[in-house]
Amino acid sequence: MFEKEKDLVDAFVRGQVSRRGLLRGLAALGVTAATADLLINRATTQALAQDFDWQRHSGTGVKLLLNKHPYTDAMIANLETFTSLTGMEVAYDVFPEDVYFDKVTAALASRSSEYDAFMTGAYMTWTYGPAGWCNDLAEWIGDPEKTAPGYAWEDMLPGLRASTAWSGRPGDPLGGEGAKQWCIPWGFELNNLSYNRVMFDQAGVTPPQNMGELVEAAAKLNRDVEGAYGIGVRGSRSWATIHPGFLSAYANFGQKDLSVSEDGKLSAAMNTPESKDFHAQWVKMIQDSGPTNWSTYTWYQVGTDLGAGASAMIYDADILGFFMNGGDNAQAGNLGYAPFAANPAADAPTPNVWVWSLAMSAFSRNPDAAWYFLQWASGVEHALFGAREQDFVNPVRQSVWSDEAFRARMDKSYPGYVQQYEASAPGAQIYFTPQPLFFDLTTEWAATLQEMVADQVSVDEGLDRLAESVDGQLADAGLG
Amino acid sequence: MDHASRLERILRGIAIAAMVLFFMFPIFWILLMSFQTNETILRNPPSMAFAPTLSNYAALLTGRLDTAAGTLDIDFMQNLKNSVILSVFSVAVALLLGVPAAYAFARHKFRGSEDIAFTLLSFRFAPPLLVVLPLALYFQDIGLADTYIGLIWVYQLICLPLILWIVRGYFEDISPDVEYAYRIAGHSWFATFRRIALPLAGPGIAAAGLLAFIFAWNNFVFALVLGSADKQPVTVGALAFVTASGIQYGQIAAAVVLSIAPTLALAIYAQRYLVEGLSLGAVKG
Repeated sequence: MFEKEKDLVDAFVRGQVSRRGLLRGLAALGVTAATADLLINRATTQALAQDFDWQRHSGTGVKLLLNKHPYTDAMIANLETFTSLTGMEVAYDVFPEDVYFDKVTAALASRSSEYDAFMTGAYMTWTYGPAGWCNDLAEWIGDPEKTAPGYAWEDMLPGLRASTAWSGRPGDPLGGEGAKQWCIPWGFELNNLSYNRVMFDQAGVTPPQNMGELVEAAAKLNRDVEGAYGIGVRGSRSWATIHPGFLSAYANFGQKDLSVSEDGKLSAAMNTPESKDFHAQWVKMIQDSGPTNWSTYTWYQVGTDLGAGASAMIYDADILGFFMNGGDNAQAGNLGYAPFAANPAADAPTPNVWVWSLAMSAFSRNPDAAWYFLQWASGVEHALFGAREQDFVNPVRQSVWSDEAFRARMDKSYPGYVQQYEASAPGAQIYFTPQPLFFDLTTEWAATLQEMVADQVSVDEGLDRLAESVDGQLADAGLG
Repeated sequence: MDHASRLERILRGIAIAAMVLFFMFPIFWILLMSFQTNETILRNPPSMAFAPTLSNYAALLTGRLDTAAGTLDIDFMQNLKNSVILSVFSVAVALLLGVPAAYAFARHKFRGSEDIAFTLLSFRFAPPLLVVLPLALYFQDIGLADTYIGLIWVYQLICLPLILWIVRGYFEDISPDVEYAYRIAGHSWFATFRRIALPLAGPGIAAAGLLAFIFAWNNFVFALVLGSADKQPVTVGALAFVTASGIQYGQIAAAVVLSIAPTLALAIYAQRYLVEGLSLGAVKG
């Protein structure tokens, strides 16, 4: 690096120059914005090394098990920074998402020491944690000998910190008393509306504000827009059909999946009158304005249709709308984003979240070294790099959401994205009751939804039958 | 009669054409997709008119796909290489062990022979995950985890019973008198096996080998559980084009074309043996 550029970046790291001033100065010296961000990233990382012994595990290495994902791509793109900071080697295996969790489960179930750390979803740790397959990371987070002072755990969004911590006792609230931090939030998605602005203009529709408006808007778009259906939501026989838009809207009416009694017993809570009203609206929306083969729809079909212009909007992960607004999608640049509170009486949206997280294998031979990687990968500096330069979105840290470069990037190419996030963030958390039968019960819920949409069973009867079955399974498992 | 016969021929021709169209259309459509970009593939309604591109194949061969969203690293050629290594060596080992074993089971009745043969066949009935998880533990202890040798060993669960049981049937079809006559002429047991039994059962062995190759090629779970990313076959590798940020349909189609090519070439080459071998088994009785 030339001296002038170096001095300028160092001054920024010391806090003597603002980011805007730094970028302006570097531009005057002929440095491009992308290069400037890389320089800042490197300089900030070097500054990190001044107040913590990052070289403690130099010469060792860690091996990671990763899912093929833009978050992984962003991390790999920045890996050299970690290696130069710590002197540690990082090896990794990247597996496609379709088989990723099979691989993780097999590796952990066979007590393999091959992988030190791995990507996971918070729901999965409800199995991995109590089984003793991953470590409680609170032990490392709270140890100043092992965690850099600049790690800023409190900077992580509170709803996400809570969503990734659980006591292991079925029915206990996430992040409640005695909760163990099974994983560290890395990137997350909340569920809101992503819509095709051109189609909305064409049909004279504005983003709906509640469930009734959503059903009407979807029907109007379905009628008025040639070659596109009204709304894309997931419908396959899987837990993944329940957790995005469906549960977000359901929770907005104050409804729950399970009730927890004072003595800790669980029982089905999805056959209340309010729940039945909501289910009836949801079913009608799909029947009137959903895709023809809705019962096969997963993340991929919902996203692909929005990107290709086959659907006018989706009620799904905000980052799915983010991804579809770029690349070689036919509708890239045409998408907008809106927060959505299904309940007209609700103050704000209550999006359920999926949190891609990092966990440490309990079978790691070098957990302290693995923690060094985890704290770097979930640290502020990497989060800023990923959010500014890569598709490491949504960030899990408040400081990144406040970063002006990140916000400018989002405002420029993804209009309304930051606003939908800000309107929804206070209510964004996991709304499921943590318990070991999570995948079985939610899959059955999705199957019942399929029967309702296919008119094989009425909403009333379907939900009563589902509740009875859920209660039976909980009782059999000693949970009810 | 002539008229009726001609009508019959025409109807038969139409029926055959319809069947060929029905079975070949998906493959033809995949071939077309492999020469298109994602944008043209996802057009609504779909169309056969498009400007062909080799970018999908180029991306697979070079290992890098440049899209507007960024560069995607692709390890598909490594996956293809792994599939070839695992399938070829697994079938070779299975033939080496299975053919003599099949001959022994067919010709020599010894105590426990049926029990052993059924035990070997039972490997085919075992749910793969039930077998592979305990194996993963043992493989770690003995250093076979994440090695080609370990995987080829496990692939014997697929190939060995298949070859053993199919080839045994062919050996049983060959009259033992031919072999006895050769033995009376002063030849050894091994020479009889090599010079008489093997050539006569050749088509059956080729058919069994080809079937075992196809089963091994299509296997998914063994390498997934026992191997790291650099040991994965095409069945796992092709899924890498399905990502959270979108599905690369063009690359998937090109990957399908490339991954069926070796099996297809082998099947066409061995077609004569295959038909002969399979029909030999069919008339057994």
